[in-house]
Amino acid sequence: MIMYTTICSNHERFFRRWLVMGVFALCLWLPTQVFAAGTVNIYSHRQQLLIQPFLDAFTKATGIETKTVYAAKGLAQRLQAEGAASPADVILTVDIARLAEYAALDLLAPVDSAVLAANIPAHLRASDNRWFGLSERARILVTSKDRVPADAIQTIEDLAKDEWRGRICTRPGSHVYNRALMASLIAAHGAEAAESWARDFVSNLARKPQGNDRAQAKAIFQGICDVAIMNSYYYGNMKFSDDADQRLWADSLRLVFTNQQDRGNHINISGAGIAKYSPNKKEALAFLEFLTGEVAQQLYGTINYEYPVNPAVAPPAELASWGAFKRDELPIERLAALATEAQMIIDRVGW
Amino acid sequence: MVATFLSQWSLASRPSIDKWSMVTVILCCFLLGPVAALLLAALGDSGGLWGHLVDTVLATYVTNTLLLMGGVGGVAVVFGVSSAWVISRYDFAGRAMLEWMLLLPAAIPAYIIAYCYTDFFEYAGPVQSALRTAFGWQSPRDYYFPEIRSVGGAVLVMASVLYPYIYMVTRIAFRLTPASLFEIALVHNKSQFWHVGLPLARPAIVAGLALVMMEVVSDFGTVEYFAVQTITLGIFNVWLGMNNLVAAAQISSVGFLFILGLLGLELYARSRQQYVSTSRTQNSLAPLPTTGLGTCVCWLLCLMPLSFGFFIPLGVLLRFVLRGDVIAEFLAIQPVVINSVVVAIAAAIFIMLVASVIVLTAAFRAGSKLRKLALMSSTGYAFPGTILAIGVLIYAGYIDHLLRLISGGMISSFLVAGMGLLMLAYLVRFQAVGYGAMLSGVRRLPENLMSASRVLGHGYGASLRQIILPLLKSSFVAGLMLVFVDIMKELPMTLLLRPFDFETLATHTYQFAKDEMLEKAALPALMIVMSGLIPVILMSAMLRRYR
Repeated sequence: MIMYTTICSNHERFFRRWLVMGVFALCLWLPTQVFAAGTVNIYSHRQQLLIQPFLDAFTKATGIETKTVYAAKGLAQRLQAEGAASPADVILTVDIARLAEYAALDLLAPVDSAVLAANIPAHLRASDNRWFGLSERARILVTSKDRVPADAIQTIEDLAKDEWRGRICTRPGSHVYNRALMASLIAAHGAEAAESWARDFVSNLARKPQGNDRAQAKAIFQGICDVAIMNSYYYGNMKFSDDADQRLWADSLRLVFTNQQDRGNHINISGAGIAKYSPNKKEALAFLEFLTGEVAQQLYGTINYEYPVNPAVAPPAELASWGAFKRDELPIERLAALATEAQMIIDRVGW
Repeated sequence: MVATFLSQWSLASRPSIDKWSMVTVILCCFLLGPVAALLLAALGDSGGLWGHLVDTVLATYVTNTLLLMGGVGGVAVVFGVSSAWVISRYDFAGRAMLEWMLLLPAAIPAYIIAYCYTDFFEYAGPVQSALRTAFGWQSPRDYYFPEIRSVGGAVLVMASVLYPYIYMVTRIAFRLTPASLFEIALVHNKSQFWHVGLPLARPAIVAGLALVMMEVVSDFGTVEYFAVQTITLGIFNVWLGMNNLVAAAQISSVGFLFILGLLGLELYARSRQQYVSTSRTQNSLAPLPTTGLGTCVCWLLCLMPLSFGFFIPLGVLLRFVLRGDVIAEFLAIQPVVINSVVVAIAAAIFIMLVASVIVLTAAFRAGSKLRKLALMSSTGYAFPGTILAIGVLIYAGYIDHLLRLISGGMISSFLVAGMGLLMLAYLVRFQAVGYGAMLSGVRRLPENLMSASRVLGHGYGASLRQIILPLLKSSFVAGLMLVFVDIMKELPMTLLLRPFDFETLATHTYQFAKDEMLEKAALPALMIVMSGLIPVILMSAMLRRYR
């Protein structure tokens, strides 16, 4: 009998212990956050390490604190589910397609700000003032310094020519950067011509589309291909990388701004908008205005080698040394409108 | 007098519906909420996108997904079952150490191992460099080397980290198989493995395999990095590329139904078979001692999965970590480590308690309908993490809205703010892991154990506490451990559903890994592995105690 009790109480202790811990776990269910007023709560599609310097500078300049959630996808749906109870004030994204998604779901508040209107050219913000471009990123070509002569390739359209068969590397077509590039080609030539370009281009690839833009630079360095599509800031990041290998990759590249004789190089933006139900609209606007001002616009260039949108702010010396170039001034909204069609072409040609 | 009154009272007030079943039904329905929300979203109009998909990419998506499932399933079963067999059946030097080490790959996130293998096998990596030096090749055009970013590469990488799901439950199954059955095989000169061990472990193997399959179908990180066009990759192209969440929900639902079909098939195949040992008190068979060659074979079978799943990726990570300033970086991420561990432990305990209630009620108190409902409740695992997170968001939005209405605005954003959302998501996704672990434990109990206890006058609760639960301790701990490491490395849901300024090791790793900055991602990734290590060791010790 005694033995039975000991066994029993042993087991009971085992399970009681787990139950107590379970109750402790339950406590974590309780809402643990109180949202301080006067704080800017940010939903960011940009990585923490890229935006932190901006947040620090903003807090230093204004005394307003910031809080962030970073996620690559799904934040629009989170904002939507939260509805009027959402704590989010500002949405920070890269790529016009994301901004357009928020606008389409009616999650952004229209903003009437003379400062923003003055700091951002009209083709880089929404016509209804719901979102704003904050920095420009050019989608350029890079070629091997050793194996490709200067001026051998001058336009995006050239990538479809036979002379580049088996010599091109790229990341997968369905990545937002390539989808936007595809959209810009549809805007320039119409869907049919753009698709025929894409088909020829894909047949010229040296390998299955893979990796990010950095991986394409590495492939050129290794001799797997001679030309690749790349966002301009990747070059700066590699050139000044902590990693000696990456500095070598950058050193093997020549930058080509495309279509300088016609419409100009395709560009995309990083941007922001204020959430429709933002509880701190005043602070949110102050943040957006700060991001388009002198200090932050310079930071875009020095931290991540992106071009300022504010025409009054000159790009930092490193960016300037890559050369001035003509930009494709297609209203950036068009890229979002053509995204679905672009993805369909990408699916059809197998990019 | 009092006693009579009490007994009458308890009889009279006995609810017409059993309270355990009630609780379980409510739990299951609660867990199915996000899945239901997704299926509901899939009912919308996708704007004729299916025609385009069928014409272009759908065949590729489906073929690649099936190849991946078959490949990963096959390799993971071979890795998991062979190592479990030699560990439980043979006695050789180093066995005790290998027994727990074989679990280690479970702590490595698949998206990290994909980066590691690319680094290891690519043109500039150690393998190809060594080959070039050895054979004097100059450029990539001089020789053929298989592309790691391919279906084959994805199979290798995913199977190497997913086999522990199978190893873990199969090892317990082998251990609990009574010696007498193996002796019968010996007497009849039949293979102990093929004729006794394997068939009797089948429920456990299938339980593990189901988890592996669901992981494969829902994986996004690895297939994206390897540019393998699977259904999940397609879901994201449709959702983000074409701004069509409805079509994305529809494709996810098709994948989900596919998994349900597989589970159903297995249930049907097994419905007329019973694997029950009536002699739980028997000794397990003593492991056979091995000699020279035998020991080598045993080591080989254990070291192969262990090298692919642990040593090689660990080596790659260490190489990166040692290049940097280890101590400074290590100190900087301490708060993140603590954050991750606390959340993972809390959620794991919570999940195991819920899973236990569901499994036990389904097994001992319920009819076949409730059993099916219980099985259904663990299917959240078959959705890609981000998509399930969207389901959780929609569902939590409904609940919050309802609470606001009921409370007249007193309670608002109960789920949407804070940790609630994340805990709900973990529960919905990883309940399947706890469910699988507990279920394979219950399946091994003699069916009449509960009835015997009830006949002898114990109540259901008392029988559970005194008879059933003690026999399930090892399953409980095993489940706890799997859930813990799963949450430690979980990425897409944590990323999307976390509160402001909240980092786990996985999200911290990701912001570097996303840009292929392996040199910065290596240390937090290594910390995920290390944090997984401690509970793996602790819980293996516990498992040995409850053997």
